[in-house]
Amino acid sequence: MRFLIYRYDPESGAKPHMQPFELEPSPGMMLREALLRLKAEQDEGLTFRHSCGEGVCGSDALNINGTNGLACITPVATLRQPVEVRPLPGLPVIRDLVVDMTQFYGHYRAVKPWLQVEGPEPEVEYRQSPEERDRLDGLYECILCGCCSTACPSFWWNPDRFRGPAALLQAYRFLIDSRDGAQEQRLAELEGPYRLFRCHSIMNCTVVCPKGLNPARAVGLIKRMMVERQL
Amino acid sequence: MSGTRAFVVQRVSALYMTLFIPLFLLLVWFLPPADYAAWRHLFATPAMALAVALFFFVLLLHAWVGMRDVILDYVAWHVGVRFTLLALLALGLVGEGLWLLRALVPVVLL
Repeated sequence: MRFLIYRYDPESGAKPHMQPFELEPSPGMMLREALLRLKAEQDEGLTFRHSCGEGVCGSDALNINGTNGLACITPVATLRQPVEVRPLPGLPVIRDLVVDMTQFYGHYRAVKPWLQVEGPEPEVEYRQSPEERDRLDGLYECILCGCCSTACPSFWWNPDRFRGPAALLQAYRFLIDSRDGAQEQRLAELEGPYRLFRCHSIMNCTVVCPKGLNPARAVGLIKRMMVERQL
Repeated sequence: MSGTRAFVVQRVSALYMTLFIPLFLLLVWFLPPADYAAWRHLFATPAMALAVALFFFVLLLHAWVGMRDVILDYVAWHVGVRFTLLALLALGLVGEGLWLLRALVPVVLL
C-alpha cells in the first residue's frame, strides 16, 4: 500500500514536502497502526501524536486524503491510494504531522467551559431532571480533537477571532445546562461580527466530526438564543 | 450594525425580498400596465410606492451585510485594506440609495 506523508523539519531549513512510503497492510489495520509501523520499520524520524488508539483521546487527528479524521479509527483498507496524510489544516506545523494547537485551546478556554453558578451553593448536589440531562447529549461527547475547527473555512480565514465549531459546541453545552447561571455573560461574550457570526453554516464541521456530533446545529441554536436575547 | 443585529437584518430583509419579488412579478405578469403613464400610476399609488421604497431599502441593507461578510472573511489579513474596502462599499451603497431616490421620488410626486 502506497502512502504520501507530509514531512517538515523546522531545524533543517528545508521546505515541507510529501514523502512516499510503501507498507503491506495487515487485516483490519487502522491508519495509526500503519504510521507506527512506518516509524518503527522505515523512518524513526516520522513524528505524529497518538495515545489511546481507540478514538477517545483525540490526539491523532490528521488530514487523511483531504478529509480530517482520527488515524486510530480510520481503516487503511477504505482509503484511496496513495494515502495522502497531512497535518490538520489551518494550524502552524511544529514538525511533520504535529500542529500547534495553542490557538484552538485558547478559543476553548475563552468560552469558559465550566459550570458557573450564581447564588449560594446548595447543601446537596446540583440536581438535574432526566430531560435537562438529555439536552447535553450530542454536546458533552466532544473529545477536542480539532477535526471540526480545522476543517472550517471561517476558522482558516479568521483563526484569531472566530471561536470555531469545537469551542462553540462547548459554549452551547454550557449555555443550555440547567445548572449554569451565566447564560447572559456567555451570550454577551459571543456578540460581535467575529466570535460566533463568522459561521456561515458551511457544515464541514459536522461532516468530519469523528464522534458524529453536530457543531453546526449547536451554532445555529446559539444564534437563535442571541436573537431571542435581543427581543 | 454587527453581530446579532446584522444577522437579524440579513434574515428579515431576505424574507421581505422573497415575498416582494414574486408578488411584484405576478402583478406585472397578470396586470401589465398598458403604457408608460400606467407604469407611473402604478408606482405612484401609496401602497406600491411604500412597498418599492421598502424593497430597495432592505436590498441595500442586505447587500451591506452580505458584502461586509465577504470582506470580513476574505480580507482578514490586512486592517487597512479591509477598512478601505468597507468604506468604498458603504459609499457605493449610499450612492446607489441616492440614485434610487432621484429616480423614484419624481415618479411618486407627479
